[in-house]
Amino acid sequence: MHFQLNPLTQKKIQRFKSIRRGYYSFILFTLIVLLSCFAEILVNSRALLVHYEGSWHFPTYGAVIPGKVFGLDYSYETNYRELEKHFNNDSKNFIIMPPIPFNAYENDLKTSAFPPFPPSFKDSHYLGTDTIGRDVAARLIYGFRTAIFFSLILLVVSYLVGVSIGAAMGYFGGLFDLLFQRIIEIWSNIPFLYVIMIVSSIMIPNFLTLIAIILLFGWIQLTWYMRTVTYKEKAREYVMAAKALGASHSRVIFYHILPNTISIIITFIPFSLASGIIALTSLDFLGFGLPAPTPSWGELLSQGSNNLESLWIVSSVIVSMTVILVMVAFIGEAIREAFDPKQHTTYE
Amino acid sequence: MTQYFIRRLLLIIPTFIGITILVFVITRFVPGGPIEQMIAEAQQASQQTGGGLNGAGIGASTLDAEQIRELEIYYGFDKPVLVSYWQWLSKVVQFDLGVSSRYSEPVWDTIKERLPISAFYGITTMLITYFISIPLGYWKAIKHNSHFDHVSSIVVFVGYAIPAYVVGIILLVIFASNLEWFPMGGFYSEDFEDLETPWEQAVDVFYHAVLPLMAYVAGSFAVMTFMMKNALMDNLAAEYVRTAIAKGIPFNQAVKHHALRNSLIPIATHFGNNISVIIGGSFLIEKIFNIDGLGLLGYESIVERDYPIVLGVLVISAILQLFGNILSDICVAVVDPRVQFR
Repeated sequence: MHFQLNPLTQKKIQRFKSIRRGYYSFILFTLIVLLSCFAEILVNSRALLVHYEGSWHFPTYGAVIPGKVFGLDYSYETNYRELEKHFNNDSKNFIIMPPIPFNAYENDLKTSAFPPFPPSFKDSHYLGTDTIGRDVAARLIYGFRTAIFFSLILLVVSYLVGVSIGAAMGYFGGLFDLLFQRIIEIWSNIPFLYVIMIVSSIMIPNFLTLIAIILLFGWIQLTWYMRTVTYKEKAREYVMAAKALGASHSRVIFYHILPNTISIIITFIPFSLASGIIALTSLDFLGFGLPAPTPSWGELLSQGSNNLESLWIVSSVIVSMTVILVMVAFIGEAIREAFDPKQHTTYE
Repeated sequence: MTQYFIRRLLLIIPTFIGITILVFVITRFVPGGPIEQMIAEAQQASQQTGGGLNGAGIGASTLDAEQIRELEIYYGFDKPVLVSYWQWLSKVVQFDLGVSSRYSEPVWDTIKERLPISAFYGITTMLITYFISIPLGYWKAIKHNSHFDHVSSIVVFVGYAIPAYVVGIILLVIFASNLEWFPMGGFYSEDFEDLETPWEQAVDVFYHAVLPLMAYVAGSFAVMTFMMKNALMDNLAAEYVRTAIAKGIPFNQAVKHHALRNSLIPIATHFGNNISVIIGGSFLIEKIFNIDGLGLLGYESIVERDYPIVLGVLVISAILQLFGNILSDICVAVVDPRVQFR
């Protein structure tokens, strides 16, 4: 299919690029999200590469490699950090570990002291460990990945629901519109977080059910907006023209009205993304989010604020959260400015 | 206009019923509800003292079928959902929210105890927010694109991006844990009753309130400042301000007497929304600073499955929010005579 952006969109993208703060945030943010997809390579207890007795192994992805393969005396999964020490006085065999050689679940305990352990380069715990000895950096990175994909999926689903119901309300009007107006009025007055807490205290949610629960109470904002916009667009001449030419309802909605509203929908995306991350983190913080031991920012935040003397836990999660959320806010501001330019007169 | 508001007030009733019936039904389909909690508790109690818990008729070692049935009648679990909802609702209308299953105290009394604490924070936050946002937004609009505008934008942006409770944790880490300037939490000190003068008591309350208030304000001032700035800039660009300046009115007066007054309209619209934000956002901040307010009560009652209180808190916050919405519409009508509600 031949695909070309129309000049107006090109101009908007040009304007977005010219807002440097937002544009660089966008590039950096995309990069971080892409990197997080390959977190297994950066943060893992499995080695990237093992060269043993002339054969090469890449244990990162794929099945568990038992210790026997590398000449160890056990048949459960190889402990690569031990193996590294084992190989040290051996010139023929070698092993390459990821930069952070821990996964998000294992407890790295010491015999001499109790966790949490402060940051230490010697132990490769660059941000220390949490209260049960799990690596903070590993949990932070995997927690980010959980949060961002949670938020992205939530965004797609809630936009699908919001756009379709909103467009239908605006386009068809009548009884359908009236019915959903009442539902939205009730829904928008429900104390959002409180009810989600109640629901997820009843059924311990997993990744998908938590999305469903938040979706259940989070679809209205865009719906209301779409309704208004569709309502306005419907009254314009081009819709009438399309109808006069015999276009079906679905053709009018999907080929004529939606493309004219899409630029406004885009300006909402960064803000929904941020609120998805915040919603998950808040729920995890309160203990109503994803079940333990899923790595999550909210869980780290609650651990950190309960153990203020272990400053590294709370400060690392707060710093990463601030950086990510401010970046998303910059992107949102830039997109809004690019898509909806308001020229102001200023007086000297 | 009066007609419109009467209609709005009447519409509260179906909305209120919609909200409460939803949550009521949810709480009914719950494993680990109050009865199961009580069975577990009675088992524990029998190992220790064998004492009765409350008027529900628990005394013996563990609960037999007869007692469970009595409990079900007591909580209305023996009837269909809608019937017991109707019973609950008709009690609520008489200001009877039932009895807490944990504290065996009337829910209404518990809420009455906590409500002033949340209200204190809510109202103070609102005052401070207006006090900061209106002048700040004003200066940012007047000095648009200046150094001051850019620097203050960063502060506003960070305040906008980070949720209020995270700001609360940051403040706690810096000012309470490390510098030890302010207490870690609570509404007042333990020796509050011994403080001699009301003045000392007030000082004590505000001393405890500094950090939570900063967190609350951080959560709400950013949006308000942006709103003020944008509204004022829109008005400054409007024809009538240009006319005023063309007529020779000094710029300052044109802003103060013409543009500023019109810019306050969106701020007034936001007034009612604030009520709900304060109620909704307060779980997190109240939990972090361990303030015995409505939010913490709601949170604890969910954790402990104390459904009479869960529903009670919901009733109060839903009513506050519904009235808040109407209140903000009234505010808009008062400040802007052009607005016609029909």
